[in-house]
Amino acid sequence: MGLRNFFDRIEPHFEKGGKWERLFPLYEMVESFLYTPKTVTTVAPHARSYIDMKRIMTYVVLATIPCILMALYNTGYQTNMAIAEMGASGWRASIVEALGIGFDANNVAANMFHGLLYFLPIYIVTLVAGGVFEVVFATVRRHEVNEGFLVSSMLYALIVPASTPLWQVALGIIFGVVIGKEVFGGTGKNFLNPALTGRAFLYFAYPAQLSGDAVWIPVDGFTGATALAVSASEGFQALAGHGMSWWNSFYGFIPGSMGETSTLACLLGLVFLLATKIANYRMVVGCLGGMIAFSLLLNWIGSDTNPMFAMPWYWHLVTGGFAFGLVFMVTEPVSGSHTNMGRYFYGALIGFMVVMIRVINPAFPEGMMLAILFGNVFAPLIDYFVVQANIKRRAKRHG
Amino acid sequence: MADHDQTPTEPQGFIRRFLALPTDSVPKTLFVAISLCLVASMIVSAAAVALRPLQEVNALKDKQINILQVAGIYDPSKDVVESFAAFEPHVLELKTGDFTDKFDAASFDDRAAAADPATSEALSDDPAGIGRLGDYVTVYLLRDANGDIDKLILPIHGYGLWSTLYGFIALEEDGNDIFGLQFYEQAETPGLGAEVDNPRWKALWNGKKLRDENGDLQISVTKTAPAAGSEYHIDALAGATLTTVGVHNLVRFWMGEAGYKPFLDNLKAGNI
Amino acid sequence: MAHKRREMLIDPLVDNNPITLQVLGICSALAVTSSLQVAFVMSIAVTLVTAFSSMFISMIRNQIPSSIRIIVQMVIIASLVILVDQMLKAFAFEISKTLSVFVGLIITNCIVMGRAEAFAMKNGPIDSFIDGIGNGLGYGLILMLVGVIRELFGSGSLFGVTILETVNNGGWYVPNGLLLLPPSAFFIIGLIIWAFRSWKTDQVEEREYKIQTVEAH
Repeated sequence: MGLRNFFDRIEPHFEKGGKWERLFPLYEMVESFLYTPKTVTTVAPHARSYIDMKRIMTYVVLATIPCILMALYNTGYQTNMAIAEMGASGWRASIVEALGIGFDANNVAANMFHGLLYFLPIYIVTLVAGGVFEVVFATVRRHEVNEGFLVSSMLYALIVPASTPLWQVALGIIFGVVIGKEVFGGTGKNFLNPALTGRAFLYFAYPAQLSGDAVWIPVDGFTGATALAVSASEGFQALAGHGMSWWNSFYGFIPGSMGETSTLACLLGLVFLLATKIANYRMVVGCLGGMIAFSLLLNWIGSDTNPMFAMPWYWHLVTGGFAFGLVFMVTEPVSGSHTNMGRYFYGALIGFMVVMIRVINPAFPEGMMLAILFGNVFAPLIDYFVVQANIKRRAKRHG
Repeated sequence: MADHDQTPTEPQGFIRRFLALPTDSVPKTLFVAISLCLVASMIVSAAAVALRPLQEVNALKDKQINILQVAGIYDPSKDVVESFAAFEPHVLELKTGDFTDKFDAASFDDRAAAADPATSEALSDDPAGIGRLGDYVTVYLLRDANGDIDKLILPIHGYGLWSTLYGFIALEEDGNDIFGLQFYEQAETPGLGAEVDNPRWKALWNGKKLRDENGDLQISVTKTAPAAGSEYHIDALAGATLTTVGVHNLVRFWMGEAGYKPFLDNLKAGNI
Repeated sequence: MAHKRREMLIDPLVDNNPITLQVLGICSALAVTSSLQVAFVMSIAVTLVTAFSSMFISMIRNQIPSSIRIIVQMVIIASLVILVDQMLKAFAFEISKTLSVFVGLIITNCIVMGRAEAFAMKNGPIDSFIDGIGNGLGYGLILMLVGVIRELFGSGSLFGVTILETVNNGGWYVPNGLLLLPPSAFFIIGLIIWAFRSWKTDQVEEREYKIQTVEAH
């Protein structure tokens, strides 16, 4: 336990009155990353649980592993397919060639490796850029650097398109960390999901790099529309003509942001999160319910001019960021509703808004990001009404 | 003021008497309200009337500058009215494709005419999203030194994503080659749809053709070039799908059968 | 007296800024700041309207019945705004086109109304005029600050003069489209307020609640 001793020896320097007092957050970050936090409640009257913040965050990162693997595979797969048509260029292609791996879209390992060359730079930039601001705020504001950032950065890296320029990746996560979280006091006090805040910033600031048909597959000049863009212009029946069957979309072999294409991978994560009770099933039920109910209603209403009206709910489920948002963003405990009754409404509101934006708003083919941010904003209000209703009911009962 | 005329016997006393009333009394309240309204409305209407001629000149000048720009002969150092004298305005009856003398071309108001049921009709097939199509529009001819037609400036409009785009398209004398396109009024998304104003994108229009040899309308504004070839195709605005669709539809609508086709046919046949 | 008047003029710039401290006039600060030129004209228009409306209202303040006080103020403000609008249309047509409805909306600008109600109804015409100028300038200062950020990073130019050559025009700068959308002014004003309050800590409001901290060790 040499390392433990080392930490114990240097700890006094970082505590109140120590010479590096201001750097305590930095010390705490490294120490609690390696060891279990010491500050777990052990005595009454606090509720005691084996779950601490570190464990929650670790579990969420674990739950994203299927999505990460699919992100690597699908990014490489889509890129290699496009390269077969357009030819290869850029430094990533040079590395692949230098190592003699090749661009065979049928070779799983080659796809994974090529995908890694896209995912890794984005993830590293996210960690470094966001991490620096996280630490700066933690040091100035004297709070602890939280493991929550590991989750935010992983989710953020999974929801940007593979072709996003790295400087934009950095700007987005900085905005997400600072405006989405730190200005409100850091992890646990953010009313918006930081990863989504960062992506929303990019989406509105640099729409040419974050939307449209040319950004999903990182090969110059190659356009591959997302399933939702195709559905919006030609109707979901036309998807088959673009090589997107329902099962393909479910497994995730379609163009889209890196980690969000595979519904299957997201559902695996969901099972894990529900089993460990990190995710609250009420939000998931509400969100699915809202989405299914509203899309059925729109199916029934129908429209001659807008093909999206006819899109059935099981297509909504597997296209765009719905599954990913449902599993990792809707269930985020801080920015969602905190009352059990409210969680149903919160989920349903998001489910309803996704379909609303996807189908009825002409400007945005995808709606999950905006719907969740919208839900975040309304979560406290929903809680308020739930609490008020509770008070009223009790007053009546005892009145 | 009217107050003075009614009480000639005590010219100053009337107002004084009101001013001396308790501030919150009913007569005082009425007095303050009425006199304030009178003074304010007089000032406002005086300003409106006095400045009207100047404002009209400005609005007209603005339109003329746009026409000069689309024709590619705008020179900020020259007097606008003088440069604009080179243009020959005509009121065109869209259906027949002939000029008409029913209206004075210098003062004809296209938009008012298109809103008036007497001089317009509601469209059932309306790809440009304009609702009503006026029977008459004002077009401008630019002649060269020999008196031959050099360019045609035709007003066009249609719906984009958020707004109706108003603009002009300038055609060469053959009525098929595009010289330029310019929108003078639009409220599309800044940075995306609003790039219809970007000089680099507008420059793409120069030299394109409306119709192929068979007389079929081929002009398109889409992401990928259609089979007809690049001389009929303008690249879409990056990231602005719906504004692009809007421009595509409105140009094709105005150049089509319901729009300027009869006029352009007449021109080709040498009837203009 | 002169000293007090100078204070009236300077105080609203930072120490009692109508936007950052009184949080008035936010709506137009969002709408007109995507280009500096428009923001500049708007600042002048609001300054003039605030100054003159405060002066006129102050001149007749002892005659205004309290029951129709607000309506009287509105009539005076509205008349002045229409005057400004007509003038712009006649003498600065290009700018009035870009400002469009926002000139008319000066009527609803809370700063004008706020100064009339809070200051002009209790003070003399000259003081009210100076107070109006000061608050207009304080408003203008923030508008220009926001305008510089939004136009420079949103379109790569200042006052329409290209500073950063944008990609669409063959340069290197990728303009930030968010800054061209009105909501971006919310972030920027928020950050400016943050900066102001870090600098002048007496502007920080009292907490409405106290966070209890318990030592866990």
